[in-house]
This record gives sequence, structure tokens and C-alpha cells, in this order.
Amino acid sequence: MEQKIRFLLSRDDYYHQRGYWVLAKAFTRAGIEVVLGGIQTPNGIAPIAVQEAVDIIGYRIMNGDPKILISLLFDEMSKQGIGQVPVVVGGIIPKKDEDAIKGIGVKEVFHPYTPLESVVESVKAIGNEGRKYMTPRNTE
Amino acid sequence: MFKEELIKTLQQIQEKYEEEVNQVLDNLEGASKEHVTFSDLSVKSLYSPKDIAEIDFMEDICFPGQYPYTRGLFPAGYLSRGLHIRQVTGLGTAEETNERWKFLLSNGANALSVVPDDGSGNRADSDDPRVQGLVGKGGVALDTLYDYQTLFEEIDMRKYPVHLITTNAFALACYLTIAEERDIDFKELRGSMSNWIRPETECLDIIEYCTRNVPLFNAGYLDMRNVREGGCTAVQEIAFGVASAMAGCDALIERGLDIDDFLHRITWFVNSGPDFFEEAAKFRAMRKVWAKIFRERYGAKEPRSLMCRMHCQTYAPTLTKQQPFNNLIRSTIYSMAAILGGVQSLHVNSFDEALAIPTEFSASLSVRTQQIIDSETGITKAVDPLGGSYFVEWLTKNLEQAAIDTIDNIQSKGGAFKAWDWMCGEIRDAALKNQRDVDSGKKLLVGVNTLVDPDDIQMKALETLQKHADFEALFEYDPSVAEKQIKRLQKVRRERDNNKLEIAKNRLLLSLKERKNMVPPLTDAVKCGLTRGEFAQIKAEAFNQPGEGPYVCNPPFVLA
Repeated sequence: MEQKIRFLLSRDDYYHQRGYWVLAKAFTRAGIEVVLGGIQTPNGIAPIAVQEAVDIIGYRIMNGDPKILISLLFDEMSKQGIGQVPVVVGGIIPKKDEDAIKGIGVKEVFHPYTPLESVVESVKAIGNEGRKYMTPRNTE
Repeated sequence: MFKEELIKTLQQIQEKYEEEVNQVLDNLEGASKEHVTFSDLSVKSLYSPKDIAEIDFMEDICFPGQYPYTRGLFPAGYLSRGLHIRQVTGLGTAEETNERWKFLLSNGANALSVVPDDGSGNRADSDDPRVQGLVGKGGVALDTLYDYQTLFEEIDMRKYPVHLITTNAFALACYLTIAEERDIDFKELRGSMSNWIRPETECLDIIEYCTRNVPLFNAGYLDMRNVREGGCTAVQEIAFGVASAMAGCDALIERGLDIDDFLHRITWFVNSGPDFFEEAAKFRAMRKVWAKIFRERYGAKEPRSLMCRMHCQTYAPTLTKQQPFNNLIRSTIYSMAAILGGVQSLHVNSFDEALAIPTEFSASLSVRTQQIIDSETGITKAVDPLGGSYFVEWLTKNLEQAAIDTIDNIQSKGGAFKAWDWMCGEIRDAALKNQRDVDSGKKLLVGVNTLVDPDDIQMKALETLQKHADFEALFEYDPSVAEKQIKRLQKVRRERDNNKLEIAKNRLLLSLKERKNMVPPLTDAVKCGLTRGEFAQIKAEAFNQPGEGPYVCNPPFVLA
């Protein structure tokens, strides 16, 4: 059987969590394995990604500054040797910030009311790409 | 409520009428015969006395200001107690937020609310590298008493009730200290905080302290508005709130307080969403359920204990980034439901909230929305104007019944504190269903799944405004506020007397360990320059909980 895509989902604040849970449930039902990272800063995400050997990282940003958080995340991922693992972002992301974080390396930005099916499809495609970067789970 | 003869006569007439309606609808392509409300109540196209025959006027509806308060808490409604226009504010440092407060007051707001940049109440200080990118962004950065002093500069605390959107006793300690500095007697001090009723020492300490010392301060809070935003229904909004209050009451009664000492200081934060009549009826049902449960099951006697008071914020999940000015219309309609339902205080979401933090421009439109409803439409001139509508009375009764059934279900699971995970599951399932309904087009959302404008002329208009206006038309975060905040914090660290602070910190730690009320020693420590991060560290040590950080994090787990 084909191994499921492993997706690490985290968010940047305490209160807003509707989208986080909707995606977590929708992904799980669509056959994606969701590792719930909870509320995390960039520095917290990278070690979990390593420990859980995920294929793709998702960061829901509502509260923080997307440019700063994403720069910190990529720095930390490089330090941990997982700089190639794809990152997607969701939340309230202004256009300017979307361009900026895509420039840093974010693969896709999902805005409110993007249909779930298209988010799932996109995450599966990006996650499949990500499989080759994460060891050791994928070399088993 | 009506003579039996009338009901009997109506029986036949109504059956015939409903048949006719069904025939008309059967012949119309695509017409649906029933509307299902947000809370899954099936509603017909017309109601008559027959549908509310079992409702008793005196017992179920009665007069405003009289038990069970279905029609409102005060005999003269908004005529004697005007609506509190209270917009949530929190941006940058205390200076920017203080400026925004003054702007709102000068535009006619008459109550205040502040949201800090940390939701959890265990946030590290703004100069901690772990909170980079989060300082003063989703709210205002408030690290020390000095920040609160700046926030309240030139704000008349006696005149304007302030709401603190936090569960953190640190905020209360700063608020009380400023009142003390201004020689305001705690007994005169009005205000409230989002102290969500939960089985934690900090929450219960706050309520206990205020009950004994700050009697007009609303120290307990049922934050059902954000639960509703999470996805739940109007029925669950009522039921989860009342059940949480019941669990809190049990814990406070155990601490030796009498129900009538504190119940009137527990207030609600509620939502007002798209299903117009259901929402208006919800506020009526909420008041009734509250009054009945606490009189019948808890023996509360004081009328004020039985009065369910509400601050409302309009529903946000339907605000769209597409065609953003449509959100003005949405929020106006949601506000009307809230005011027809008789809420005490209101925040109207700004049209740009799906894009960014509100600007002065958009926030002033939220204030104007309330002022126009209040002063131009006559809506606030009649008390409970929807009372007596067959449809609204039917909805009120049915929401009440469904809410009581849900409360009983929660009680059978051991009460709200124990049933918390179950409640979260229900909320999340409802959110997923809602999203699927929008995806499939079952629930229409203008600009998203119907009436889509590929050019989005409204967005273009906003962008043009942002480019050419000589005011801020769309908020942009300025990362330099973090540097400014760090300077403010360092000033406090530099100027405080560390010996005095150490003594105060040790006293606070000891008091926490001995499980004595934390508010008095915390207030002393705040006066010595204690920071919010240091308070979080002390709590962590005393309660053996995860330390201060950006947030308290649970270990990751795979969703089943």
C-alpha cells in the first residue's frame, strides 16, 4: 500500500483555530496523515518536522507577521538540515506578504474559503514532491 | 396564549393554507419548501397562533425587566440604558492603541475594549527572541505596568467601562493599580475581562478577588462568541455557555461563596450571525435559559443574578476578502439582529477584517453603523420589537428547548469542565460541515460561491484608496513597533528597584504555592516592575506547568 503523506500542521496563535481544525479534519479524511503541532513559533516547528519525519509543513498565520515568521522558519529548517521540505501557508495573508513569503520559498498560500478539495489536491501534489527530502522514514 | 376556539378554527384554515403553499412551491422549479436554520431547526414559511399555542405569555414571555427576562433585562430597554458602542482595539504599542481609543471615543464610542498580542496569558516578554514577528501585531504589546499606564493615559476610567480581552491576572493587577494611582475606590470601578470560566486557579482567583473587593467589575466571562466563530450553532452557543457557567458556579460555591454574591458578575460575550431571526431569537432564549436554570437549579434569588448580560461581536467567518465592502452590509444586518435581540454592548466587525487589522477609517464605519441604527431607524425606540411575532416566539421556544436538552446532555457527561473535549469535537465537526456546505454551494456566500466578480471592482476601489488617500485605508504592520516596544520594556528593567522586585516576586511565588489568592501579591509585584514574562515563569514554577514562552504548547500528536 502506498504510504500516506505526512503533514505537519501548526498555527501561530491561541484564539483563532477554526481553519486549523477544519483543515486537519479534511486532510485526515482525504487520507493525509496530519501531525498536529499546535500553537508554534518557527523555532518550534523545525524540530517537530525532523522528529516526525514529515513530507510537508503547513503554518497557519493569523497573528504574526508572515515575512518575519517565514524567514525564521526557513533559517531554522536549514540549520536542522531540512531546508528542502516544502512549506505551505494559510490564514489572513496580505498580497504583499504573499509575494514576499513565496519569494522566500513558500510553495503555496491558501486564503479563507479556498475550497477544501483544491487545498487537499494541492497539498497532496506538494507533499508528494516533499517525500524525497525527508529521511529516514522514506528510505525504509 | 390564545383562545381554544381560535386554535381549533386555525387548525383547518392553516392546513388548507399550507397545502396551497406547497402546491405553489411544487410547481416552481428549484423552490425549497423549508429553510433549515444555522442550528438545524426546520422552519416553515409562515407561523400563526396555532404554532405557539402552548406558550404562556406570563410564564414564557412576560414584560421587559421581569423574570424570565425573555424580553430584556430593563423595563425601558435602550431608552434608559443605551447601547455600549465598544470596538475591540489592539495594535502596536500602548501608544498606538491609546491613540486609537481616543479616536473612537471622539467618534462617539462610549465603551472600550483592548486586545493584547498574547492570547494565552503565558507569553514571554517582547524582547524574547521566541516572540519575534508577534509583538504588537495581532493586538497591543503590554509587558509591564508602564504599558498599561500609557494605554490608559487621559482615559476616564470612571466614565468608560473597559473590557480586557485576556484571561491573565497580570492585566487585572495593572488595571487595579492604575485605579489606585488615580484614587478611584475599587467599589466604583466598572469594567470586565475575558476571564473565561475554567477550572484553573488563576480564573477562580480573579472572580473570588473581585467578588470580595471590586464588586462592580465583571470578573467572570463566557466567551461563547469565539466558540461560535469556531463553528458551533446558536443552540450550542447558549448551551455551552450556560453549562460552563454552571461548572464555574460549582467550583466557586465550593470556595465558600454564595451564588448571589458572584453570579451577577458573570457576563457573556456572544455572537450575532447571518441567520437573522434565529439570531434575534437566540438572545431572547439565552436570557430565558439563564434565568430559569439559575433560579430553578441553583436557587439564585437576586434578580440581578438572573439577568444575563451580553456583549456581542458580529459574526466573522462570513466576512470575505472578495468584494470587501459587502462586509459592511453583512455586519450591519448582524448588528440589527443583535440590537433587536437586546444586547447591552456591541462590536461591529469592520469591512476589512478578512484582510487586516481595522484602520481608523474602517473602525469609524463600525461605530457609525451602530449610531445609524440607534439614531435614524427607530429600532431602539421600542423594547423587544420582535416580541409577539409568531415566528420569533416559536424560534425562541425551540432554541430554549434545544439548549436545555444540550445542557442536560453535558451535565450527564459530568459537567462542562469534564465534557470540554466532547464540546470541542462538536464545534469542529460543525465547522467542517459549514465549510463543505459553502464548497458545495448549499450555503450561499456572495462573492465566494455566487455572484463572483472576477474583476473585483470593490477590491480595486480599496487598493486605489490605499494608494492615493492621505489616510491609512488598509492596515500594514510596521515591524518597527517591536523595537519601540523593546525600548519601553528595557526602560522599565533599567529603572526598577531589583531588590524590591525580588522580595515581591518571592512573596508572589510563596502565595501561589500555598494556593492563596494571587491577586494581592501580584498587584504588589506589578508595582515593582514585574513583567508579564516573569509572571508566567513564576506561575510555571508554582504550578509545575510548562514555562513561559510564546505559548503553552502541547506535544504534537497524529490526528486520529
